[in-house]
Order: sequence, then C-alpha cells, then structure tokens
Amino acid sequence: MHNPFSHPDSRKPFEAAPQAEVHDELAFHLEQRIRDYVSRGMDPATARATALERFGNVTEVQRECAQMLADERRADARRDWFEDLRQDIRFGLRSAARAKLFTALAVLTLALGIGANAAVFGVVKSVLLDALPYREPQRLVRVYARFRDGSSERGALSAGAANDVGIRQRSFSKFAVFQGEAGDRIYKDDGGASIIHAAWVQPAFLSTLGVVPALGRDFHEEDARGDTSFTTIITHEAWQRVFGRDPRIVGRTILINGIARQVVGVLPRDFVSPVPNADIYYALSLPALLSDPISARGSHYLAFIGRLEPGVSVEHAHQDVDAISTSLSREYPRDDGPFQLTTTPLRDAMVGDTRTPLLVLMASAGLVLLITCANLAGALLSRTISRRKEFAVRVALGAGRGRLVRQLLTESTLLALTGGLAGILLALVGLSALRTLALHALPSYAHLALDSGTLVCTMVLALCTGIAFGIFPALSVGRANMQSTLRDETRGTSESRRSRRLRGALVAGQIALCLSLLAGAGLLARSLWAMTSTPLGFNPDGLLTADVQPGLNQMHTSDAMAGYYARLEDQLRAVPGVTAIASASELPSGSMNSNGLVIEGATPPPNDQQSFITYVSVSDDYFRTLGIPLRSGRTFGPEDRPDAPSSIVISAAMERRYWPNGGALGARIRLGPDANSPWKIIVGVVGDVRNDPLRATPEPITYASRRQEPTTGVSFIFRARGNPLALAAPIKRAAAAFDADLAAHNIATMRSLLSDGLAGRRLPVVLMTAFGALALVLASVGVYAMFAAMAAAREREFSVRVALGSSREAIAGLVLKQGAVWMAAGLAGGIVGVVLVGSLLRNLLFGVRPLDPVTLGATAMMLLACATLALFGPVRRATRVDATTVLH
Amino acid sequence: MFNKDSGLLQGTLELLVLKTLSWGPMHGYGIASWIEGATNDVLRIEEGSLYPALYRMTRRGWIKGAWGTTENNRRAKYYRLTAEGKRQFQEQTSGWQRFAAAVTQAVASANAPSWAS
Repeated sequence: MHNPFSHPDSRKPFEAAPQAEVHDELAFHLEQRIRDYVSRGMDPATARATALERFGNVTEVQRECAQMLADERRADARRDWFEDLRQDIRFGLRSAARAKLFTALAVLTLALGIGANAAVFGVVKSVLLDALPYREPQRLVRVYARFRDGSSERGALSAGAANDVGIRQRSFSKFAVFQGEAGDRIYKDDGGASIIHAAWVQPAFLSTLGVVPALGRDFHEEDARGDTSFTTIITHEAWQRVFGRDPRIVGRTILINGIARQVVGVLPRDFVSPVPNADIYYALSLPALLSDPISARGSHYLAFIGRLEPGVSVEHAHQDVDAISTSLSREYPRDDGPFQLTTTPLRDAMVGDTRTPLLVLMASAGLVLLITCANLAGALLSRTISRRKEFAVRVALGAGRGRLVRQLLTESTLLALTGGLAGILLALVGLSALRTLALHALPSYAHLALDSGTLVCTMVLALCTGIAFGIFPALSVGRANMQSTLRDETRGTSESRRSRRLRGALVAGQIALCLSLLAGAGLLARSLWAMTSTPLGFNPDGLLTADVQPGLNQMHTSDAMAGYYARLEDQLRAVPGVTAIASASELPSGSMNSNGLVIEGATPPPNDQQSFITYVSVSDDYFRTLGIPLRSGRTFGPEDRPDAPSSIVISAAMERRYWPNGGALGARIRLGPDANSPWKIIVGVVGDVRNDPLRATPEPITYASRRQEPTTGVSFIFRARGNPLALAAPIKRAAAAFDADLAAHNIATMRSLLSDGLAGRRLPVVLMTAFGALALVLASVGVYAMFAAMAAAREREFSVRVALGSSREAIAGLVLKQGAVWMAAGLAGGIVGVVLVGSLLRNLLFGVRPLDPVTLGATAMMLLACATLALFGPVRRATRVDATTVLH
Repeated sequence: MFNKDSGLLQGTLELLVLKTLSWGPMHGYGIASWIEGATNDVLRIEEGSLYPALYRMTRRGWIKGAWGTTENNRRAKYYRLTAEGKRQFQEQTSGWQRFAAAVTQAVASANAPSWAS
C-alpha cells in the first residue's frame, strides 16, 4: 500500500472541491460494500439496495460532511495567511538585520519624521481641536470692541456698551459681563499677607459657561448687591494653594484687602477661566458701574460672553451685535463712535495669536514627513534594485509576484511601525521640551500630552507612510523581467530608465520641500533677530522689576498714598546693590492702558477716528533708571506738585505724529473720557520706547508724573550692580520690614519679561529651524543616495569611456550633468514653495519681506553647499573607475 | 444502532474510531468493517453516521485525512491519528474502562439496599 502521509502537503495543489471530495469518499465506501455482498453471492441489484439501506441517508451525510470540510478549509486558509505573514515578518527581520545601516537609517529617518508630526499634532490637537471645558463650547462667543484707529482689534467694552448689548441682543440665551483681567488683592491670615488675583463677574458667568462649582453653590443675583452681601467663589487651585484644602471652606469668611467675604463655592479642578490667572471671583453689579456718568461709557475694561440661542449661528449673532454697535455709535457718538463691536467664537478668542504659528508648524512637520517618505522611497528603491537577483531566484523557485509584492510591503510596514514607535518616544521627549518652551506661547487650557487620539493618528500615519513608500519599489519588482535578470548577470544591477526617473523626481521633490522649509525658517529667524536686535529705546540689562500691592489702610487720600510710596522708595533705594530705582503704574509691555487724546486748538477728528494713546504714570527717576534719553524740555521733578497743573512728557513718536513742525512743548492736551477735565501741559519729549517687542515701530506714549497721578498698585524698577536677580531676596525683606501688610511679587529681570513677551514668536522659529535642519540632513542623504546609485549603475560605461581615453573630468561632468537636471528642477519647484510659505508667514514677519533676497539667497546657497558635499563621494568614486576590474 | 443524536454512543463511536486508527492509517470503509468485526457485529453501526464523526474528529485535530490508493489501486481517503489523537485515545480508553467497570459492578451487585423488603 502506498503511504499517503509521506508528503503531508502534497495534496494541496490537487485539492478537490469539498462536495466532490466527500462524494468520492462515500462512493468508495458504497462500492466496497457492494463488492463485499456480491463476493458473498448476492446479486448486484440486491447488493446495491442493501448497501444503501445499511448506509442510511446518503444525501444528508454528504451535505453535512461537505459543510464541515468547507469550514475546515477556510480555517486552514486563514492559518496559511497568518503563517505567510509570520514568514514574511521573519524574513523581513532577517533581511533588515543583514542591511544594518539601511535599517538604522530608515528607522531613524522615519522616527524623526513621525516624531516631529506626532509632537506638533499633539500641540495642535490640544489647542485647536480638543473641546473647551465648557458645556456645548461651540455655542459660546465673546463680544469685543474693535478700535477704529487700529490700536486694538479685541478691545474691552465700557459698562454702558456691555449693558446695552445685553438689553438689545436677540441672539443669546444667556450672557454675562465680566472683568477681562484679574486684579491684585491682598489676602491676610495668621501666616501673613499674600497676593491673590480677583476678577469681577456677573452672577450668570458660570451658568453661561455651563460650569457648576465642585463645592458650594453658584452666584445668585442677590450676591451682586454689594451693599448687603460680600460673597466669593474661589478656584480649585486657590483652595489648595491659599487655603490648604480646608474641607469647611464653603461658608468660611476670609479677609481680602481688609474686607470680610464669605466663600460660597469652589470651582472644579479642570475649570479654565476666560480670565487669565484669576484665583477668586466677586459678583459684579452692572447698575453700580453705570452710576458714574463719565466712566460708565468712557472706560473700557469689561468683557462680554454669550451663549448662542439654539439655531442661532455666530454669523447671525455677529450681525445682531453689529446693528447694536451702529445704533450705539449714533446715540453716543463721542464715547461709542471710535469703536465697533464684533463677535468672535470663544475658541478663536482663546486660541488668540497662536493659530497661525501652529498651522505653520503643522505644515513644516508635514513637509518633513514628505521628505522622509521621498527619502525612504528612494532608499528602498535602491535596495530593491540591489536585491533584484534574490527576487528573481525566488520567482524561479515558484514564488508568485503577488507574494513578492506582499513580502516587500510587509518589510516596509515593519520598518514604518518600528519607526512609528521610535517616533512616539521622540514625540514624548519633544513634548516635554515644548512644555517649557511654549509655556507663555499657548492658551492656558492646552494640555500638551500624547492622548490616545494622537497615538492612533500617529500609528495610522506611520502605516500610511509604510505603504506609501513601500508601494513604488514593490511595484517595480512586480514589473521587472525576472528571466532576463537571472540570465544577464552583469547588467543585473543597472537601473531601468523608469526607476532612474522616479529617483530623480523624488530627489527634486525633496530639494523643493527642503528649500521652502529652510526659507520659512530663515524668514522667521530673521524676524526674531530683528525683534530682539532692534533697539528697544531703553537699556533692559541689569534691571529688576517687582510689583507691589500695599494694604488698603494706607490709601485714604492721594496725598497719603504719595507719601507712603515716597517712603517705600527711599527704603528700597537703600538696599545694597541698587544703583537706581523708579516706579511706574505699569511696566512696558504689549498691552498697556490707553486713553483718548484731545489736543487744544486742533480740530477734533471725527469720532470714529479718535486716537487712543498709551498712558503711564511714572516716578521722577523713571527715565534715568531705564536709560530713556531726554530730547527736549524736562522730565518730572519736585515742581510737579499735586496741586500744580498736570505735566505730561511725550515720546518722540508722539511729537512726530501730532507736532511734526515743532511746538509740542507747552502744548495743552486732555486725556481720558472726561470732557471737563483740566488741560495738561506738555513739558518734555523723551526718546521712543518699543514697549511691545513684537512691533517694529514704537507707538506714541504719554507719561504723567506719579506725584500728580498716583495709583494704588505700582511696579518698581531697580538698576542693579551685578546680577539683578541677587537683589530679589533683599528687596522682599526690605519691603516686608517697611510694612508687614505689603506684598512684593512678580519679581523678575526686565530681560526675562521681554523674553516672555517674545515666547510666542520664538516657538515657531525654534521649531521651524529644527525642522529645516532636519530636512536639510534628509535631503542631503537623498542627494547622496541618488548620485551613488547613478554612479554605480553606470560604472561599466564609465570604465569603457576611461579605457577609450576619456578624462576623469569628463566622467565627473557626465555624472554631474545627469544629477544637475534634477537638482535644478528641485530648485525651480522650491521657488513655488517659497512663495507659498512667504504668504503663509506674512503675518508673523517683522522687518523682513516675504521674498527677502538675503534669506532666499542664503537658503539656496546652504542647500547647494550640502548637496555638493553629498555629491563629492559618488563623483569621486565614478572618476576612480578601474577599467581592469570592471571589464574583466 | 449508532444514532448521531445520542451523545453517549457518539462518544463511544469516536473511541472506537480512535482504537481502529491506533493500528495504522485506514479508510472509512475499513474503519466501519473493523468495528463490526471487533464487536462481533453487536455494534452494527449505521454506516452513514461514521462519516460526520470522522469530519468532526478531523476538525478537532484528532485525526487527519489524505487521499491514497488501496491494494486494488483504488483511490480512497485514509485517516491517521495525530499526536493529539493518540493522547485522546489513551485518555478515553482509560475513562471508558473505569466507566464500564463501574456499571458492570453495579449491575452485577447482589447487595440489596436497606429499603428493599
């Protein structure tokens, strides 16, 4: 008997359909039975009938068995598929281990490309895509005042305007007016005084946002009646930091600025406030603010948030508010004429200026990934060409083309997944670096983390990359003529015209992408350099700043206030190491107080063109301490007594704008909303100060004397001998010794304040430069790989040429000519990319044009230099071809 | 006598198939004939019910089928025990022996229970 199990798998190619196989098996059984009966003397017809009867229901048995066999076969096929996959993976790992350099390079390249994308996507997702922590956040909008003189796009509202919007609007189901910026307050307990930040909000504030306190209750309307009840809601953070998680905090009475207030609620831990840094909330009463006829419409310090009625679009609300704004301008031309009310979705309001930089980053990371893909496709193509013989052998041994393509795709997917995992590790490192770098640059609600969504996106990206860059080489194998490859041994390594073109196009694409990215990075870097190197108008080195908030009891009259600060200043001046000291109502920054300007004798401009000028009150030594030069007239001194006419010092930009022909000194102006306030006299002109480091040109500034315009909160500026930070502790001690109720806080060097202001601009520059460098390295590797493969492919031809007397220079020329075409194509494509990048970046540029020739020239030169370096090796190799070894 | 719906006897049929194949590879007809001979025709099986049992056992991985040729040069599907099948055979044999011995002992017992009058 022939043993059917000697070749266990031999049945596979000859496998019959389940139906037929079962039929044959049962037929054999019946035949044998009939034969048995006949041999025992039964006649054939009877034997057949008896055999069938003994068997039972043939049809039923056959159906049942065929079904089971078919199931079994399907399960087998699945097992085979996984077995093939396992084999492919094992084979892929083996071949990856053989080509260590290629594998390491591919995984590293991919990890960089994918890591950059995952990190940036993590940021973009947390800022632009994740839901804000409010109920139905897409229905929340902010109303802003856009000042027609261009001084503010998103300005604050006056109490009158906010009140009128609330009464006349038809778009919001709920709304609340609140103070857009928190103010410093002093909290005092047995441990001493500390600063907390308080914001006034209308009682409907939290319910408009859809936030419920975690402990206690929300504000009631009665809480806003300040004369009968003093209540407050605190943040979770303040509960922890200031009140030590007191479990009986709700109902407890706390002392703030000397006033007792009862805590009625604690906000949830994840609450993100539209008011930055607020620790504690008071209930705001709009009617109380409306009672002062001048500040009610003239002072802008309020914010407005509304929840859209179901079915009302942002656009509709915008039109609604716009119509209200138009009629307010008619009714109160002097107060409401200079601005227009606009409606903005809350997310846009909170994302602020970060949207463009983030999109730029996302685009940069995407470009890097494209370069990565092109590079890997090129590398895999070379590898496939050098493995062509291996594939030919496998085809000859019976492997199907589909099987080979699958093998290659498995290999590249394997690479992509490894690269993706490594990329996620890189992204984690990158994000933790970004958390420090982006602290001041991103909205407060953004939690930089790789959540599951980002991880899934990254892995999908990795897989798509794997398939994308695996598909070209795989297809080129599918198409290759295996027989001729096997037969023609010497030409087996030469490149087909098609793959040469493909490789050239990949390199050209890389160069184009790289050029765009580098140009963008260059433009941003030049902008940042211009921002930091353009003179600020004062000398920030060696300056230390501190904010000071005194207890209320010193502040009964402005005389008492002035005296208190004069004594404090004397005390602080005596701290060893302080060479000069000054104080101001505000430190130079991008967002300072401003006031409407009226010039005596000048025709007042139409109301909608009224100007708002930055306004700050400073001590006598302010200009000397900061190093702001006096241009003409005088600065402030003891002669500016509180009872003397108000003196004003203006900046040179102010003089240029309003007194271009001179005559500023002695001119009389009025600042602020009160039309009956006394005139102020300009006594001096000082040098310009760029108080907003993000703006190229200095704005006009008016300075008042602290002797005449005192404020309760003050910032001190110290000029230090040596390291300014060394003064921090002695200054704190001196302040506490002067008054135990006084809190000196926000102590920082002027340099670090300026640097924080630039953080939003530094982030895209640093990242885009990093991406540009990455792209440059990748593109150089790509150029190298192209020339290396090209030179290797034409080695035989070159050796023939050398044998026939061609010079080495001529050979080098041949190689360069072939590659130069593609590099030129890449540079040409790069020009298009540069124009696109330039227009995308336009809003982020400072002192540079989008098509800045210096940047573009430097970028192109850098790229060419790297490409030339990458060319060097392959060209050298081509010219060293030894005719005797190649043409044996 | 073997009905495909009787669980106990179906298990018995599987054990007998395992026993048959423990001698070596055999086709369905040979298995049926051997079982009948070995049981002195007491267990005359309805032969049709053998085949679903064979396919079921194949699926469980106890036996494996492959086409071969008989001495008379006829094509037939031969079954053999797999490693798992051999293990099953040993396990089920000892199980059956314990079971049969227990039933035999009970049926042959002469000790009357206390409630018997």
